[in-house]
Amino acid sequence: MSTTSTPARTAPRAAAAGRGPGRRGAGVTNVVLLATATVLVLIPFLWVVSLAFTPTEDAFGAPQLIPEDPTLGNFGTAWDANLGQALWNTSVVTVVAVLTNVVFATAAGYAFAMLPFRGSTALFYGLVSTAAIPVSVTLIPLFLMAKQFPLAGGNDLLGHGGSGLLDSLGGVVLPYVIGPMNIFLARQYFSAANSDLAEAARIDGAGEVRIFTRIYLPLAKPLLAVVSIFAFTGVWDDFLWPLVVTSSAETQTVQLALARFLTSGNVQYGPLMAGAVLITLPVLAVFLFNQRAFVSGLTDGSVKG
Amino acid sequence: MTTNHRHTPGRRAVLGGALGGALTGLSACAFTGDGSAASGGAGPSGPADHLVVWFPGTNQTEIDLVTGEIVPAFEERTGATVDVTYLDWGDMSTKLNAAFAAGTAPDVFGHGPAAVADFAVNDRLEDLGPYLELLEPADLEDMDAALPGGRVDGTQYLVPLSIQGSLIAYRAGDFREAGLDPDDPPRTWEDLLEVARRLTVRDGAGTITRSGLLLMSDAIGRQQSFAALLASAGGRQVDGTSPATAAFDSPAGATALDYLVTLFAGDPAVAADLGQNYSDLPPEQQPLVTGRASMTMSTAVRAQSMHDAHPELDLRVMQPLAFSGGEPGVLGGAGPGLMINKDSAAKELAWEFISHLLQPEVSGEYTRGIGAIPVRASSVDDPYVQGSPVMTAFVQAADAWVPNPNVPGWVQARDTLSGFLEQALNERLTPEEALAQAAPAVDEVLAKAARAGGA
Amino acid sequence: MAAVTAPAAGTASAAAEGRRDRRSRRNRTRWIGVAFVAPAALYLLVFQLVPVLYGVALSLTEYSPLSRGAPRPVGLANYAALLDDPEFGQALLVTGRYVLMVLPLTVAIALGLALLANRPFRGVGAFRSALYVPHIVSLTVVSMVWLWMYSPDGLFNEWLTGLGLPEQRWLLQEDSALAAASAMRVWKALGSNMVLLLAGLQGIPRELYEAASMDGAGAWNRFRYVTLPGLRPMLTYVVAMDIVYLAQGFAEIYVLTQGGPLGSTTTVNYLIYTEAFQYNSFGSASAMAFVLFALIVSFSGLAVRGISGRKS
Repeated sequence: MSTTSTPARTAPRAAAAGRGPGRRGAGVTNVVLLATATVLVLIPFLWVVSLAFTPTEDAFGAPQLIPEDPTLGNFGTAWDANLGQALWNTSVVTVVAVLTNVVFATAAGYAFAMLPFRGSTALFYGLVSTAAIPVSVTLIPLFLMAKQFPLAGGNDLLGHGGSGLLDSLGGVVLPYVIGPMNIFLARQYFSAANSDLAEAARIDGAGEVRIFTRIYLPLAKPLLAVVSIFAFTGVWDDFLWPLVVTSSAETQTVQLALARFLTSGNVQYGPLMAGAVLITLPVLAVFLFNQRAFVSGLTDGSVKG
Repeated sequence: MTTNHRHTPGRRAVLGGALGGALTGLSACAFTGDGSAASGGAGPSGPADHLVVWFPGTNQTEIDLVTGEIVPAFEERTGATVDVTYLDWGDMSTKLNAAFAAGTAPDVFGHGPAAVADFAVNDRLEDLGPYLELLEPADLEDMDAALPGGRVDGTQYLVPLSIQGSLIAYRAGDFREAGLDPDDPPRTWEDLLEVARRLTVRDGAGTITRSGLLLMSDAIGRQQSFAALLASAGGRQVDGTSPATAAFDSPAGATALDYLVTLFAGDPAVAADLGQNYSDLPPEQQPLVTGRASMTMSTAVRAQSMHDAHPELDLRVMQPLAFSGGEPGVLGGAGPGLMINKDSAAKELAWEFISHLLQPEVSGEYTRGIGAIPVRASSVDDPYVQGSPVMTAFVQAADAWVPNPNVPGWVQARDTLSGFLEQALNERLTPEEALAQAAPAVDEVLAKAARAGGA
Repeated sequence: MAAVTAPAAGTASAAAEGRRDRRSRRNRTRWIGVAFVAPAALYLLVFQLVPVLYGVALSLTEYSPLSRGAPRPVGLANYAALLDDPEFGQALLVTGRYVLMVLPLTVAIALGLALLANRPFRGVGAFRSALYVPHIVSLTVVSMVWLWMYSPDGLFNEWLTGLGLPEQRWLLQEDSALAAASAMRVWKALGSNMVLLLAGLQGIPRELYEAASMDGAGAWNRFRYVTLPGLRPMLTYVVAMDIVYLAQGFAEIYVLTQGGPLGSTTTVNYLIYTEAFQYNSFGSASAMAFVLFALIVSFSGLAVRGISGRKS
């Protein structure tokens, strides 16, 4: 009796459907428009690349994209500014942040959309609204909490006696573990999903965890792609928090490494831009990898009601 | 259902308790966080054989110098270990604020002079006077142009690592073209304005295509321009110390601001691009390099880099200017420097570190590395200075440097004044109105800052 | 774990059992919902909400982090002071204008690009990545390039001169500085908006387009009656996210204009940063932050309601 086994996939199958505009290949106009927009959008970035190959003394000289006297030296200088270690540190922090966000923020957003409980709406708005507080105000309290983190950096159970998470990668990752806006995003995504699937699966005796991981997550690849990309860039581009929480070269992040070339009144444009190019590449690679989720045939459309 | 009812409040209570506990813990730490309880690797604690330094500078040359030479030599001599973190002084406040709130501030830290008084009024800094007395009197005299900028109310809190200041740099070629003698530049601001009028170039529509004279007019720069003019006019920015009061609303102030406004809005004007921060532009975009200006107020670093990159421009630097019949004055003096945390457990060591940096050869190497003006007058004989007419001119100007006042609340007072200067420059207010309105606003800021320190 | 029993219809007792069953299932659902939410919620409560509450407490005090003393309670004085602070009033207006200048433009362009990039063709991934680049290049670094493009001898004036038009003083004039800063922000926000809308587009079932086509709907009608409604949840999110982030605009202003000229680009968050880290006045900085917070929450709430209609 308790082993009803009929699969509850009652959703219409898109496979049977013909070719809609979503599937149709792009026309020439489409590609030309997209290419034009891309070039326009890339102009400032192309200057970043151009400057990366330009000696600092000549930076922003003649407005021509191909430097007269290109050099690779800037990349060496940038790399020597502890960039290797910084890239490693930032990557470690990023991997943690991506995982925690993909797992916990997505699960929370799913529950807020599909498994509401008493007070869940209030809780949801409470959590998400914390994204509307400027960092300037929360920076110092968060710093105090990092310092008093129990059982870390020589601290006792009450958070006294040591330096806690200060100057450690654990401290760096602290504000990125869960992005409130990622919960919001996941909730929006799942609130548009077809809840009949879950209902049917429940009647068939599937547990909620199974319903989430086996039915809804596979349909949410674009969501997971976006959440990981956002978690990734969030860590990658932040400056203020790592500045405050780290102090040694061993815990430096990429933006801090770049700051070496940002001396007030005496910016080293060449190495700065070269460093910016170098640290953009890994993010681009991750994006390229992730964006496949947007075309995967797995989003067969049944998620929508 | 019943289980649910029983549990819901329980859950809330637990959550509430956790929240409350965390808050109390935080508050307890922050509200009593006076640094005396500082602990941990990043704090000024532990045995007196370890030093934590936050160094004000991220230039590769100074990092190499400090990490590669100064620290090893120091560690070998004292047997102590030193941790150095390099920070641009622009990022220093953020990091120091968090560190002081949590009691993890370093033993030695750097900042610009403008921030010193706020640390001092909060009793965060060690009085360096007794330490300086350990130096030779001749040594002290050698650094006389730099040290006053690190004093608050007569007490030395900051030891500057370099001198910063701005002088008028000019293109000799433009002078010759206009029939002027580049070897005999103006000595007074009045003459300078005359020369600027002859150097200014306009297009058919009357728009200035080459400014005769550019003084800084961006958010921070315009206060510096004003202060330089005010000093030459014999005026002061503030009187007293705690609380200080605005002193710029004076005839000298009016002369200074009137001059500044005339450059941009006079008839005829000699300066375009009001509000642009040209001093931070890349070298190739500097108005003197692009030819958008014939004379600009320029820092030593900038003037030197332009001079090196474009010898064909024959850039020269004028000595400080006076208003007719007055003494020359120019804004400058102490650049970013080092301070000792009053709660440091290793003050002797901290001072040794600082004094190591003050030694003539170390100090010389340091300023040469970052392209700044050396703190020592004797460095005028240094090959670095001798080899550069630009740097020579800046070192020679040492007698005329007038530093910004070191009073609590100065950063905010400066920005407040700057806001009113901007209104005058944009002709929303006359120079007299702007100064008359700025004075009480600045007084309020200074009074509040002095009160906060006293509390 | 309660196993789901099949409803045995026919007898009253079985029906009652079924009801109990459903009820226990709902209970189980509720708890499982809590379990799903708990890790993220607890984390945020501790590491996000506690700092916020701390900020609320500070907003009722006068406090400098440099001070050795405790924060001095001043009641609502910080908030009262904001009421007749013309600078704060102007910053609110600037912030509002900034959001209104950037938001519609960036959403519209991002939607256009997302529609274009939604079609599968060889190399579309490269286009998507390229369009995402602005979002990932370090803001400080890229601001320097924009600063130069806007400078008197910069790229934009070069283009204008090439077209025989007079040069502009983009960032130096009261009437154009905010628009110039907005343009950079539109550019910077395009990538993230586009990616989100792309994800939203991917969720729209193709059979809806099929049905619309069979009913003879043209491209516009398909967009109007299929794409837009299907995109609604994501569009809601995009608008809310943009409001939340744009209203806290700071870094680009810091690099491009330092709030000038004449305060025309001084956003509230710029004031907050200055107040907190330049002037060490955490009390008044926090008060400003919570006024901003209230406004952001109400406006994004309104926007969410407005766009999502029945859903809130």
